[in-house]
Amino acid sequence: MSIILAAWSRLLRVVIAKIGITFGLTPFCNFADKCNEGCPLQKWLGGWLRFEGECMRRLAIVLAAWMLGPAAAILSAQSLDDLNIQIHGYATQGFLYTTHNNIFTTNSSDGNTAWTEAVVNLSVQPEPKLRVGVQARYYLMGNLGNTIILDWANLDYKSSDKFGVRVGKVKTPWGLFNETQDIDPASIWVLLPQSVYPIESRESYLTHYGGVVYGKFQLGPQLGTLEYKGFGGESVYVENDGIFLAQNEAGYPLPNGIQGPIFGGALHWKPPVTGLMVGYSDSTTTTWHALITAQNGAISGTQTLYEMSQPNLFAIYEKKKIMLAGEACRNWTDTRTVFPGYPAISQSVSGRSDPREWYAMATYKLTSKLTAGVYDSQIVDHKDPLGPGRYQKDWTIAGRYDINGFLYAKVEQHFIQGTQLGYDATLNPNGLQPNTGLTMMKLGVSF
Amino acid sequence: MKKLIYAILLVASASIFAYRGQAQVLVIANPSVKSAEASKGDLRDIFTGNSSSLKGSQVTPVLLKGGAAHDAFLSAYIGKPDGAFRAGWRSLVFSGQASMPKSVDSEAAMVDYVAHTPGAIGYVSSGAPHEGVKVLAVR
Repeated sequence: MSIILAAWSRLLRVVIAKIGITFGLTPFCNFADKCNEGCPLQKWLGGWLRFEGECMRRLAIVLAAWMLGPAAAILSAQSLDDLNIQIHGYATQGFLYTTHNNIFTTNSSDGNTAWTEAVVNLSVQPEPKLRVGVQARYYLMGNLGNTIILDWANLDYKSSDKFGVRVGKVKTPWGLFNETQDIDPASIWVLLPQSVYPIESRESYLTHYGGVVYGKFQLGPQLGTLEYKGFGGESVYVENDGIFLAQNEAGYPLPNGIQGPIFGGALHWKPPVTGLMVGYSDSTTTTWHALITAQNGAISGTQTLYEMSQPNLFAIYEKKKIMLAGEACRNWTDTRTVFPGYPAISQSVSGRSDPREWYAMATYKLTSKLTAGVYDSQIVDHKDPLGPGRYQKDWTIAGRYDINGFLYAKVEQHFIQGTQLGYDATLNPNGLQPNTGLTMMKLGVSF
Repeated sequence: MKKLIYAILLVASASIFAYRGQAQVLVIANPSVKSAEASKGDLRDIFTGNSSSLKGSQVTPVLLKGGAAHDAFLSAYIGKPDGAFRAGWRSLVFSGQASMPKSVDSEAAMVDYVAHTPGAIGYVSSGAPHEGVKVLAVR
């Protein structure tokens, strides 16, 4: 408990420091995270129109989101009637602490606040069947992100409940939470089960360029409803995405990332039992190729990612105060690399993986403001050698408190066994302990 | 035998309270909505963003920002507390799948908006004035 209280104290001081810097409260300068080039207050006063360095950019983006909140609250959830324009957004500040190992490219074993997000969403609905929207996101997690990305931008035409189409950069409908895994205000969890939704692979898995068709059919009073989503297009894995962390640290980057066709679909069956949904999804890629380099760019070759499939079975039950959910999936890959004239290096960057993943979760609404939850998440890669690196088991307990309609706070404790996910070599130079505890907290504002 | 009687009384009282929840709220719609009735499943789908039609009519849900009528409606027809209900809409909005439904401050504003907006469907407490709108029977 004392560790948790100390962590909350530090998180609140960082948040207050970031706001305090804006209003010139000098005593808080020393607590600003990563602002090591002198007092940020002086830099801010001296050049407040110029964004100097990582600290200022993070600060400006987060504060813009927080300041926009009250102003937009007047418009919040209220469309500009004549134009049907809506503006929404949210911002979060997180804190991580691990008992052993540094996780998610942060110095979490010392406590770390390099975890910030801000999202702005704009949509127009000129007529009931047509909607156009765009969403931008700034995110930072350790050494990942620290950039503004286009989250999605799409045009959505819903002809009827049986058929609609969405085109542009769209969220990929896979599994139970792929489309919503990065929407922090919508969930009790600080982290979704990492076995299925690894946070470092956010830019890779969440969206594709192309389209989604969707709709639902009534199957009758005895069979319920069947909803479908089909998708196709191009998936893009950018070069600095977390999915390539280990490969980049080993010295084999993909300078242009990798991309290629992807298609798939999801079926959601809602039987005549209120609150229950059972579903299946699968996504399939063709064979992709990418430029790969080694020895600091001295040699180059081709990395081939052969066809991948990700079958996923899931279910969710929601009734009044209770939510139960679970998923099971498999994601095998086959990668071949060729550096012409360097067979040994080629072999070292080739291989297969066959991870089997599942989780089960439950949440309960204790009061109108407080929700508690627990989950067990596991992943085992059947192609890895025996040992802690082959698997990860994560027991998690969590709580969310809604301070009011805009503000919320989350706390979460993970008990992690195994080292399959989340760790990189650079921040763990002495190797990895097989088990670790992970404490996480977040403050968020949403409008 | 006693346990059976207690069980029957418990189910009966629960049914009464459930009925009272439904009777406390009227579901109203713009006269352009063709149907005179809606099922609980229809209302749940419409007000959670899963459906945009009712018996062939395009419909648009309208919400109260809070209050007893809002809570009674969620309890009777959505089966979620307000926080979970709004979290569901945030999931849709921030993933690009929907726009947030219109929210109004009062039941009078609800009636006025529904009366003047083709396809609008909302809810008010059973004792609230509701001229200019049609009341849907919920089965």
